Amino acid sequence: MAPVAPGGPHPMSDWVVDGVESDLDSFHLGPVDLSLRSGQAVAVLGSSGAGKTTFLRTLAGFLPVRRGRLLRDGEDISHWMPEERSLGYVPQGLGLFPHRTVVGNVRYPMELRGRVDAKARTEALLERFDLTALGHRHPARLSGGEQQRVAIARALAAEPELIVWDEPWQALDVEARRELGVVLTELRETDGIPVVVVTHDPALAFSLADSFIVLDRGRMRFSGGANDLLDRPSDAFVARFVGYENVYDRAALEDGTDHPFTAWLLRGAGPEGVALGNPEAVPTTGVPSSWEGVVRSARPSPEGLRVELAVDDLMVAVRLPRSWPGKLPTVGERLRFNADATALHRLGPGARTGP
Amino acid sequence: MSGPSPPTATRRGRRWRTGPSWLALQIVLSGSLLLLFLLPIVALFTYAPVSRIVAAAENVQVREAIWVTLYASGIAVLASAVLAVPLGYLLARRRFFGRSVIESLVGLPVVVPHLMVGLGLFFLVLPGSPLYAFTNAVGFPVYDTIWGVVLVMAVVSAPYTVLASQLSFEAVDGRVLESARSLGAGPGTTFLTVTMPIALRGIVAGLLLTWARAVSEIGGILILAYAIYPGGPYNGPVTSTISVYIYNLFQQGDLADAAAVSSFFLLIAFALFLVVRLGERTGWLPWRRGDLTP
Repeated sequence: MAPVAPGGPHPMSDWVVDGVESDLDSFHLGPVDLSLRSGQAVAVLGSSGAGKTTFLRTLAGFLPVRRGRLLRDGEDISHWMPEERSLGYVPQGLGLFPHRTVVGNVRYPMELRGRVDAKARTEALLERFDLTALGHRHPARLSGGEQQRVAIARALAAEPELIVWDEPWQALDVEARRELGVVLTELRETDGIPVVVVTHDPALAFSLADSFIVLDRGRMRFSGGANDLLDRPSDAFVARFVGYENVYDRAALEDGTDHPFTAWLLRGAGPEGVALGNPEAVPTTGVPSSWEGVVRSARPSPEGLRVELAVDDLMVAVRLPRSWPGKLPTVGERLRFNADATALHRLGPGARTGP
Repeated sequence: MSGPSPPTATRRGRRWRTGPSWLALQIVLSGSLLLLFLLPIVALFTYAPVSRIVAAAENVQVREAIWVTLYASGIAVLASAVLAVPLGYLLARRRFFGRSVIESLVGLPVVVPHLMVGLGLFFLVLPGSPLYAFTNAVGFPVYDTIWGVVLVMAVVSAPYTVLASQLSFEAVDGRVLESARSLGAGPGTTFLTVTMPIALRGIVAGLLLTWARAVSEIGGILILAYAIYPGGPYNGPVTSTISVYIYNLFQQGDLADAAAVSSFFLLIAFALFLVVRLGERTGWLPWRRGDLTP
């Protein structure tokens, strides 16, 4: 498919992050490896302080590349100025110009380039992102979703060859999130611009990205596709991110009692702990490999009743199948659940070799 | 688990209610302060008959003194814009050794009695000092000239511009600047098209404060330029700033004239501030209220 951007066809771009390292005060990032071509999207995952923003700012040229290379279509741009990189960096909070109107924001990159067709292109971009009626407002007078659209229109006005977006879905309501997902998908599919996003939201990350990298305290823990990420979570953050509710820290398990359940979890644990694949409650005793806990809470959820059990001093979230026979469990009751060794995932370095 | 206990609920409920006694306290305290501002003005105007105020307005010496005061304070504000704004930027954007020493130094002219500032400047340009010879040679004699007034005014009032511009530059979100860079603007362009427009309002507010402080200065001027002899841009008869002029009237026991001249100058100052506020409203100043605040 021919990539189409307002104002003309867009050059195909090919980006390679090759063992890039950088430093921010005492924080060290990297090495990070990543390759990205037209129409691809990468989600950068990690808990706060993992180095996600540091990585994006290094890509954008605001932090020096200490080691490794950043290649754009084979050309080493590691030491280029931010304004020379043709890279649309959207920081957290969007970085809209508070002193300019929507039109003024979107026009800005074209004013810099002295484009004679700035007026027409601005109008086209406003039209495309449904901003025409808001052209003369200042960003402070826009809703979160409208501000997002201004940010993306302004980024496109600079004809970037890569969009790098820090937390695009932050502070948006459900509907605005969905709309933004559509816009971002369109960017990569229609405009052919590769996209790198940082996000905390798994549903959105999976709806947008082809591949994922996971950062942890500045190190790259994981790099690969969605299935790898789902099947073999590398650490506690990723495990929770991809939907494991029962994630246990190794230190906490070691400090726990000698209860058989704790000991069983510890046997399956990696250097950082273990994730227990979503266990189901079982109605009767006598089922092999079943455990017992005391119901602490029971709440409806889209996937069925979600019950929290105390097992020894650990909390375990289990689901009640829709076909649950008999009466629903209540707080204080005992309940059995199923969990065998295949449901355990080691976390920490070497986790991907599995138990 | 039990629900929230009644005492907690009551305490919560009370937090959201502004009691009538609390409101009354606010009115009494704020009102007292406003009275402290207003009553001296009322007293001034009461003491000076309208005819005296009109006479003061027509008095050549009074006009001369007011003109000198406004002129000198205007130059002091310009000097602040040129010298103090860059220092504010430096303090806002750079981390360097001795930064807090510089910040303390900037605050010093504000906290020490201005007589001391005047005294320090006096010894600096004392006849026989190298700076005395230099300032005379380049045509900026300081002692008892309008340049002396400008010098004192600039030293005691520029700190307000330094501080205001430092705060304004600090308040410009670094991520907005990074956006501009990423969109293709170099550092210089980013400064001119993003940093300055956003910081401008605060800087102008600082310059207004600087101007107000310069106009009201007397302590340092009493020492360095008690009388203003012709020289530099001033070619009239020997005069003084309006503050010194009024001080002299008071010293001579001419209370009615002191009140009349003060009243007249108050009207001028009030009119000037009104013009600035109206400018803000009508938009010929480079911002509108509320544009820059989220």
